Amino acid sequence: MAMNAGSPAEGPDGPAPRLACGRDAALVWDRAAAGTPPDAHERDCPHCNAAFADARGLDAVVHRMASQDLEPPPSMMDRVMAAVRTELRPHDLLTLSSPHGPVRLSRPAAAAVLRHVVDRMDGLRARSCRIEQPTGADGRAPHAADVAITVTARFGVDLASVTARVRQMVIAAGEQALGVPVRRVDIDVVDLFGEGTT
Amino acid sequence: MSVVAATRGWAEPPPPPDAPAARPEQRQAELDEQTLVVRAQEGDARSFEVLARRHQAALYRVAVRVLGDPGEAEDALQEALLDAWRRIGAFRAESAFSTWMYRVVTNRCMGMLRNRRPVPVDRMDDAAAVADSPERTAELDAGMVALGQAVAGLRDELRVCWVLRELEGLGYTDIAHITGASEDAVRGRIHRARVQLAEVMRPWR
Repeated sequence: MAMNAGSPAEGPDGPAPRLACGRDAALVWDRAAAGTPPDAHERDCPHCNAAFADARGLDAVVHRMASQDLEPPPSMMDRVMAAVRTELRPHDLLTLSSPHGPVRLSRPAAAAVLRHVVDRMDGLRARSCRIEQPTGADGRAPHAADVAITVTARFGVDLASVTARVRQMVIAAGEQALGVPVRRVDIDVVDLFGEGTT
Repeated sequence: MSVVAATRGWAEPPPPPDAPAARPEQRQAELDEQTLVVRAQEGDARSFEVLARRHQAALYRVAVRVLGDPGEAEDALQEALLDAWRRIGAFRAESAFSTWMYRVVTNRCMGMLRNRRPVPVDRMDDAAAVADSPERTAELDAGMVALGQAVAGLRDELRVCWVLRELEGLGYTDIAHITGASEDAVRGRIHRARVQLAEVMRPWR
């Protein structure tokens, strides 16, 4: 293929070279591979002609390679998740008080429970769920938690009433499912989605 | 974060447990990508698993084409997904999540290639030798084999860019994000790869 390839100015990692006729070699190739018909210059120019022929000649076999079905074995993801679970953040814990001493609860697990409560509500999905147990003035973590939750809502739902319901449900789930009194719930509706989508 | 509506408040006493009629459980697999990413960033392994399963086939294809070996590709992908879990907190949504995942996987592949022992023979010569004899075997399969060998003969940086562009259909901008090279360098690499492959594959046309 006739081009100025290898001229010192290009270097091994420079931009795409120009064909001997001056056209950007990469652009000509992109046009040819996209099936664009050659323009007046390209029809008559031997350099562009050669580039078109190379591009289209290679394209067929490249397409076949691109459409080959390659899937990792199913066991691969099982191994990844087994490793992920051994790396769950072991120190990210909430403290529950109990008559027999404090109980620790994984913060991500607690957040998953609260998100699940929101996901079950019509037209709402929980996105972020952060649970904090602010430290009291005496340095001890108090029992009650503050929850900041972001949700996406289906377009058209009554945001005031659903967010009030989210607050009620999060408080109830905190108390009943987790055993964590919820002191405060901040809710941000961060996105809307249409019918039939999430 | 753009907030459509916000409500803040101190908790009232919990309401009586008259839970609203719950829809069938919304499965995580149906959630939008941004929601899954945020959940995974907050330590939710199940959301991470959904994300990883969504992208694993594309990432595996790239690893196989870049490394040229399914077994090594599986190792690379496995390690890369674990990297992604450890580092997902650093994902900033400046690019698509898929672009970020491609970056994690190609970095892992490039690391494996750097640690390989140098190949003693010139792989380009191998590829050319196979391509010399198009009549010997069924032409379609042999053409694919020849292309595979020609791709293996590309310089690593060229091969990564070419695979992302020609096999995965990504744009130059995304490939620049993934490889950390400038867009001009990416265009140049892809072009050099195409020319090299076209030369090796000319007997097959």
